[in-house]
Amino acid sequence: MSQFSRTWWGQKFIHAIEKITDAGRLSRGRSYARGNKVKSFEIQQGCITAQVRGSINPYFGVHKEPLYHITIEFQPISAAKWSAAIALIASKASLISRLLLNEIPDNIEASFKQLNLTLLPGSTKDFSASCSCPDWSNPCKHIAGVYYLVAAELDNDPFLLFELRGLSREKLQQELSKSPLGQALSAELQLEKQPPAAVTSYHTPPETLPASTGISMRDFWHSAKRLPQTMEPLPNVLVSGIPIKKQGDFPAFWNRGNSFLEVMETLYQQVKAKGKL
Amino acid sequence: MHILHGTWIPQSGDAFIRSGMFYLWVETSEPARSRHPKQHHPRQLPIEDLAALLSNDLGIKPPDYRTLEDLIEPRYFVLPTIDNEPLPSLELSRYLEQELPESFEFQCWQVDCYPTLTSIKTGSYGTEQVNGIVPLLNDLHFIALHNLTDVQLGADLLFWFHFTQALKRIVFKDQYIPALKYQKLAPPKSTNSKENSKRKKTSTSSSGSSADKFQVYPGWEFIGEEYKNTLQQYVDYMPLVCAAGFAEPPKTLEFYDRPSLLRHFSECWLTDIVTHTPITQAIKKSMDGSILDGCLHPSPWPQSAGLEQYQQWQAWRDRIIRTQTDQPFHLYFHLQDPPKPSDAWQLQFQVAPKHDPSLRVSLDDYWRMRPQQKEQVKQQLGEAFEQNLLMNLGYAARMYPSLWRGLDTDQPIGITMQLDAAFTFLKESAWVLENAGYKVIVPAWWTPKGRQRAKVRLKARGKSLGGNDKSKSYFSFENLVEYQYELAIGNNNVTEQEWNQLVNAKTPLVQFRGQWMELDQDKMQQMLEFWKTQQQENPELSLLDFMKLTAGSEDDALEVECDRQDALADMLAKLSNKQQFQPVDDPATFQGTLREYQKRGVSWLQYLEELGLNGCLADDMGLGKTVQVIARLVQERELAQQQHNNNLPPTLLIAPTSVVGNWFHEIHKFAPHITATVHHGSDRAKDSKPFKQACLKHDIIITSFALARKDAKLFNSIQWHRIVLDEAQNIKNPKAALTKSILKLSAPHRLALTGTPIENRLLDLWSIFNFLNPGYLGTQTQFRRSFELPIQKNNDRRQSTTLRKLVEPFILRRVKTDQSIIKDLPDKVEQKLFCNLTKEQASLYEAVVKDVEEKLQAVEGIQRKGLILSTLTKLKQVCNHPRQFLQDDSDFTPERSHKLTRLTEMVEEAMDKGESLLVFTQFTELGAALEKYLRQTCHYNTYYLHGGTSRKKRETMITEFQDPETDPSVFVLSLKAGGVGITLTKANHVFHFDRWWNPSVEGQATDRAFRIGQKKNVFVHKFVAIGTLEERIDQMIEDKKKLAGSIVGSDESWLTELDNDAFRQLISLNKTAIME
Repeated sequence: MSQFSRTWWGQKFIHAIEKITDAGRLSRGRSYARGNKVKSFEIQQGCITAQVRGSINPYFGVHKEPLYHITIEFQPISAAKWSAAIALIASKASLISRLLLNEIPDNIEASFKQLNLTLLPGSTKDFSASCSCPDWSNPCKHIAGVYYLVAAELDNDPFLLFELRGLSREKLQQELSKSPLGQALSAELQLEKQPPAAVTSYHTPPETLPASTGISMRDFWHSAKRLPQTMEPLPNVLVSGIPIKKQGDFPAFWNRGNSFLEVMETLYQQVKAKGKL
Repeated sequence: MHILHGTWIPQSGDAFIRSGMFYLWVETSEPARSRHPKQHHPRQLPIEDLAALLSNDLGIKPPDYRTLEDLIEPRYFVLPTIDNEPLPSLELSRYLEQELPESFEFQCWQVDCYPTLTSIKTGSYGTEQVNGIVPLLNDLHFIALHNLTDVQLGADLLFWFHFTQALKRIVFKDQYIPALKYQKLAPPKSTNSKENSKRKKTSTSSSGSSADKFQVYPGWEFIGEEYKNTLQQYVDYMPLVCAAGFAEPPKTLEFYDRPSLLRHFSECWLTDIVTHTPITQAIKKSMDGSILDGCLHPSPWPQSAGLEQYQQWQAWRDRIIRTQTDQPFHLYFHLQDPPKPSDAWQLQFQVAPKHDPSLRVSLDDYWRMRPQQKEQVKQQLGEAFEQNLLMNLGYAARMYPSLWRGLDTDQPIGITMQLDAAFTFLKESAWVLENAGYKVIVPAWWTPKGRQRAKVRLKARGKSLGGNDKSKSYFSFENLVEYQYELAIGNNNVTEQEWNQLVNAKTPLVQFRGQWMELDQDKMQQMLEFWKTQQQENPELSLLDFMKLTAGSEDDALEVECDRQDALADMLAKLSNKQQFQPVDDPATFQGTLREYQKRGVSWLQYLEELGLNGCLADDMGLGKTVQVIARLVQERELAQQQHNNNLPPTLLIAPTSVVGNWFHEIHKFAPHITATVHHGSDRAKDSKPFKQACLKHDIIITSFALARKDAKLFNSIQWHRIVLDEAQNIKNPKAALTKSILKLSAPHRLALTGTPIENRLLDLWSIFNFLNPGYLGTQTQFRRSFELPIQKNNDRRQSTTLRKLVEPFILRRVKTDQSIIKDLPDKVEQKLFCNLTKEQASLYEAVVKDVEEKLQAVEGIQRKGLILSTLTKLKQVCNHPRQFLQDDSDFTPERSHKLTRLTEMVEEAMDKGESLLVFTQFTELGAALEKYLRQTCHYNTYYLHGGTSRKKRETMITEFQDPETDPSVFVLSLKAGGVGITLTKANHVFHFDRWWNPSVEGQATDRAFRIGQKKNVFVHKFVAIGTLEERIDQMIEDKKKLAGSIVGSDESWLTELDNDAFRQLISLNKTAIME
């Protein structure tokens, strides 16, 4: 289902659980994820722990809204193998470039395959989960709900995937700094997230200056420099939205499934065609 | 006169969202007499008048059911004020008889202002209001440019016009993004809200700020270098008055700070425009629930909600900004074609520091450098070069995904691609990469200059120019052009078979005869069919139609070409590069020496006329159009005589009254054997028969525009050899009776003379061409539709190129600054302007002469000297202007003095070209009158320096005049005060309105403009009243050898030594020189 993830890796991640879970549990899992039932989740050292508000179910003897505890763990990749994997990644500019752009490169698995590894979970053996609910089935709907949320998280933070497979961020930095290309990525990752840039007014406020004396009539009515004698023609732009395209589609703030760039392109064209210009 | 002002006025107060409004107001030269409250601006157009002007003259409509009056509201301007009266703007002051004081104070004035709101249909529900300032200013500028009304734009609105057009260009490049603004609210009360952190993010991202109370406001913002630079650049173009408007009377006298006001306007305007762009339901749906939805309908998000989305947006925005701002290097993509068509194409990655593109190095070389060398290169390319390079390659690959292939290594150098991919790259991706800020280098054959195109060539040759007729160097007067069509690629003819092969080629990019090129097979198919149908015929064109075809726009598949050996090719080449004209020799009977470029000009005149084409000689003022025409008259008579034709019909020359005398004088001077007559005055021939006889006896008939209309019947009755229009812009109005009657005149040759740059005044241009080559530029309506509107309103470069190509062959225009002209010109070019006296001047002159003749008998000694000197002064005054002599307050109008008329015309021409000038006179009272006239009637920027000018004022005036940022100006100087010691090198024209007896005094004055630092040639124009003592003084100065030693003193006292007869002769009036 595309609603939780728009990236190929997020979807592949979801695919791993969808293969082994029945449609009913999956769909309820999705409504858990969407309906604010997941009260908290935390990822520490590759282990996901979460609390999910369950529903009353007299059949299972549940008469009061319960809070279930869920853990999901992924098969860690050994430190040595990680070293080898990162070294491989850092030998290809295409991989590093995409990671720099906050994307999982679509050919990354090829590099992992050389080491007999996979990065994304492919089947049940790649992760284990438990839930405190009475459902005998694993994954249950609660696990599925948390899983969907993790997938959504991965869209914006692909490096979480490394963490889930046992490579902490500190370790990732260390490994990256071993090669020149890796250093490029490492520097970018260390950029701090900026605190919100608070403004005191919506638009730049117009400031004032006291009316000074001693200026001439010409200073007041005319400008310091004469206006240019000719005027540039309007640019003829064949492709819309180029300035934002470098940042790729589906920026993190875009919470919809359709292409952000396509919408912006249409909008830019509309402004040019219909705006009061 | 009304001056239209306007500016952006922010809302008052300090609300978080503080917008503003663009207001227009009008300053008038005729304020209503009604009493107005004290603080109201007395020269403004009040509500009703303002509304009437806006709707009737400027076509402004209210945005809704309200009337314009309803919308007009008072705003407050801090304006220069003196004695409780606001001073007029500089634009208006040129229409007022009010001296501007040197110092003033500021005061706040209430002004009725109109907000530039307009309605826009946003969806099916109805309309909304939006600031319509950008299209409105475009319209107003167009109206004002064409003097369609009695309204002029103030410098403030002109600034806003330029600035808003610059913003519009940025909007057209999509350099703006959805924006979120984060406002911190007052700290929350201590209770922890339940909403808080319902799901915790990963350990790294939790931040303390989530506890702060805040609110997020959606909107739009500009991004990119161009916006930044535009703001910076335009602050210098912004008059202070633009920052002087307030929504409420300011508590202290102040102005807005210009940079922040510009920013405020730009931001408010962008949000206004984008949020009021009508969008379809489909677009609306495609962004439903996203932040875009909010940005288009800005209202604040719920309090303290959306921090995460805000930060995600912030990170996105920061990355855009970061990659747009200066990285010290450029990334290049260099496409190289393969030597063998079947091989792969290379797209190489290269980098170069921005500050020195010549240090470009390919990454292939870079990776292979020795460490030390690499370090050196890195220093040029900036810190973290490799990291930035990778980021940039990654971004580029996003725009053009094929690049990913080249990045499967740790040392990327480029990619290879097949033919199809290379074609797509050239067609599309190259352009996208270029617009995204990368540099793209494509093979030379792809550039517009090197591109080979498939085309149908129209091969033409002059009909009568067979090999057998060598006696004629030009083709026949019927000027028919024979032509045939040929298929061609680039410069090569192509057979039908080859063409077919290319049409059937599988790719649009082919190598043809060793050269890569792009083919549009569909178009080629069409061309082939066109060519086949045309094969059968053997058609002909008129020369004029042929010229029109050759000017066709570049994209036309039809290309006109001639045999290189053919006279047509020669003709086109000559007409497009007039330097190629072989200068004629000075005609044997011409009494003077032509300069090199003048000889070339005569040669051009001759050539065009022999082709049966009519042209416009548009040399700059002072380059000598008159002598070139006279030389042509002489030359054609000499040539005719060689062919034993002594009977050329007369030429009719139509000129402004003020130069009629000068023409006559110059013809007499340079070609005394050319018989000229002036058709003017009350005793002119009025019946057809005597007129015809008079015409037959003369080579040239000179008349004025006024009579060309009045005596149209007479002129129509003659078959002229040639019509010459001097100052041809006089027929710029196609509807005027004058223009119509001139168009009716019949002559095989027509020639227009003008010194104003007509190519910039399209209607003038059309009208003049309609006289020269009727139909060539289409009807007036066609011309307006295809050239005037697109060029002047929409700044359409393509149409303006086409038009230039159309008219260029017919216009010979040399400007003073042409290198080729400069070398032919002395640094100082002197010419005399001979003007007639008006009837009024003549009668005054005669009265003075008569009076003095009587008195002269009776006086002796010192009294006689006094009488002579005062007479000289009086006569000179008469020659200048009757008012100066009468010393009454009568009108100082050009109608009363041809000198003044001519000065007015020439000043206008110089001002049009942005040139400054000096006017010298020996009379203080005349200087004052001239300055006032030039400022108040002609509305130029003027300065006046005379004996009474304070030292300080003199210095300020000189500095201001010399300042390159000052508008072109007229500096009037009295000969005595301005004759020495100052530098006015900004002027390149010097006028001597009256003559001084000693040429060295005039020379000294002239040298004000001609001093060290003068880079231009200086043109000196000396006025001489024909038939008066001025002409005789001029003659004496010319013949000063004969008078050796006589003219020594710097004054006129030596003239008192003349005996009575000689003096009488000196001052007597030659009555033929009078002209009404």
